[in-house]
Amino acid sequence: MKLKPPINLAWIRFTSCSGCQLMLLNCEPSLAELARIVAIRDFPLASSTLGKNTEIDIGLVEGSITTPSELERLLAFRRKVHLLVAVGACALTAGVNSLVRGERRQAMTKVYAEQGDDWNTFPPQPVAHFVKVDGQIPGCPPEPGELLNSIGTLLNGGWAGHQVMPVCMECRINENPCLLERDRAPCLGPITLAGCNARCPNLGVPCEGCRGVVAEANRDELCRLFKTAGLTDQDISHRLERFGETT
Amino acid sequence: MTRLVVDPLTRVEGHGRVELLLKEGRLYDVKVRLLESPRLFESLVVGRRYDEVPDLVCRICAICSAAHKLTSLQALEKLMDIRIPTTAAVLRELLLLGGHLQSHALHLFCLILPDLCGTPDLLVLLQRKEPLAEAGIRLKAFGNHIQEIAGGRVVHPVNPVFGGVAYIPDKQLIDGLSEELRHWQIYWPDLYQQFLQLGNYPEAGPVLGNPLATGLQEAFSLNGESLSYGEEQIDCSGYAQLLGERSRADSHAKDSNGQAGPFLTGALARASLAAGRKLRFDKPAERFGIHGNNLAQASEIGWTLRRIGQLLETLRQADRSEPLRTTLKQANGGVGTVATEAPRGLLIHHYVVDEWGKVVAADIVTPTAINQRVMAAQILADLANEKDHERLCKVAERIVRAYDPCISCAVHLVQVENSSEKGLSCQKRSK
Repeated sequence: MKLKPPINLAWIRFTSCSGCQLMLLNCEPSLAELARIVAIRDFPLASSTLGKNTEIDIGLVEGSITTPSELERLLAFRRKVHLLVAVGACALTAGVNSLVRGERRQAMTKVYAEQGDDWNTFPPQPVAHFVKVDGQIPGCPPEPGELLNSIGTLLNGGWAGHQVMPVCMECRINENPCLLERDRAPCLGPITLAGCNARCPNLGVPCEGCRGVVAEANRDELCRLFKTAGLTDQDISHRLERFGETT
Repeated sequence: MTRLVVDPLTRVEGHGRVELLLKEGRLYDVKVRLLESPRLFESLVVGRRYDEVPDLVCRICAICSAAHKLTSLQALEKLMDIRIPTTAAVLRELLLLGGHLQSHALHLFCLILPDLCGTPDLLVLLQRKEPLAEAGIRLKAFGNHIQEIAGGRVVHPVNPVFGGVAYIPDKQLIDGLSEELRHWQIYWPDLYQQFLQLGNYPEAGPVLGNPLATGLQEAFSLNGESLSYGEEQIDCSGYAQLLGERSRADSHAKDSNGQAGPFLTGALARASLAAGRKLRFDKPAERFGIHGNNLAQASEIGWTLRRIGQLLETLRQADRSEPLRTTLKQANGGVGTVATEAPRGLLIHHYVVDEWGKVVAADIVTPTAINQRVMAAQILADLANEKDHERLCKVAERIVRAYDPCISCAVHLVQVENSSEKGLSCQKRSK
């Protein structure tokens, strides 16, 4: 289905840091062009236009679901949106929000004192646990070009192609030294979905896996390499669970 | 009794709502509710290794991610008694100032300018090719460009690491920034004048709240060893008592809570504290009331550009063979507290780490959490005589927006809601 401009665009945000929508606002040179092809129907960070009952062509969802009222809003959003795109690690895997261990109620009380006790909340869930997701844009945060690319290709009647190889391959293409080999650094490049052009390893910073795991990832081999590099079991599991992976 | 609700607050960062309660047509109570879902960062870092903390807590907020990352690193480095190399400190400050520049430009030109021009959003202004809007987003892009080069990524920077930084950007990149900076140094004064000339601020009363900032050397500093308010200056480890954040479960401490507060933090607070110390800084005219905070932000952009120039020059001269990172042989336990100036005000990070390097406790106090107490009080004071419902809602939203609130950051939100009520009761007593 080819969409005709102006495309009705809405951005809804749940439990998150607002980084995904900020990445869209960070595409400064393209904002004027964007303004020409989209009509903002609901985007509270950027606009005071609140189109509660309009039909939306593209609905971007940021954040994980952590309260019954967020769930209600998500379900209502799904009903008025033609294409629902989950954006960023929180929407896709629940993100760093889901790292709270143990009893949630106890954690609530600890952070928010006695008022925390009656807060209605549940462990963070990815959006796809509750509604059909038509498209995904990974990353914490996503690469700025990915957002524009997705909107642009939808406008032309399709979905943006997405990477299937790991960050490790991008690193090789860029001829970076291997941080895992050279520094014994806990780099998650071998199992993380590419698409960032190995942004962090290019700078000498080990990949933290923010784009989520690639298909057919060889976790066992990576864990073995990490152990050889001197990481403890706990270090490894902490490193992997940051963006929803387990050992 | 009538209850007016502004929900959601738009053109602010995060979920929030304002409730205005009217009795016989007159505003008598205001509730600013921050509806951000709990994310429990202070709980999720407990039990993790100290060097994981900065990567996690920067995810509290995207706009302030550089400030959160740097503040947590500094607190942990202070705790373990680590001094970072000079070049690393320069790069970190550059990153923080890039963050200030992008955040101020975002707030002034994307979120405030539509109010001043009477449009729902920036995109409408861009469609009209409004020169101020176009220049504003270019300035924002410059702030982001600095963050990308100094931090490796515009949001959730990766360059700052425990003990220093991971890399120093290539010389050509630094030169490129200097080039861009020269453009802004020429162009900004005119843009600033144009921004100042935009009227259209709501009528406003005197600014409420006791200005609070880091111990200022000039406008703002990364070096947050102390807190300053009025004539007072205290070590930042005394923050809990000063702000009363800890005292909420303790009824005895609640009274002392209101003594020095409620506090105002952010650009206007920095400007008035700097002016009190005769530091070189424009303080906006009082007739703008709390909206003067936006003029103070604009004035800070000029300061920021000058400081960025100095930092870039230092980086050009830097000895590239020096190490960028101090390594730690073994983690030490301890307590570390620092405060920095995030774009929207004072940010405090406090950690307790055990002798194996695991976090035992964490406390993060954000600017919006501090400002909550005065926000509701300011709405009540400024709108006491307003009867028109539409205007009440509109201006209340603009007052909240004037503080440049960052609700995602305000991880202490339940306590905050309480304190806004406290702010109100102070206000009532004074009448």
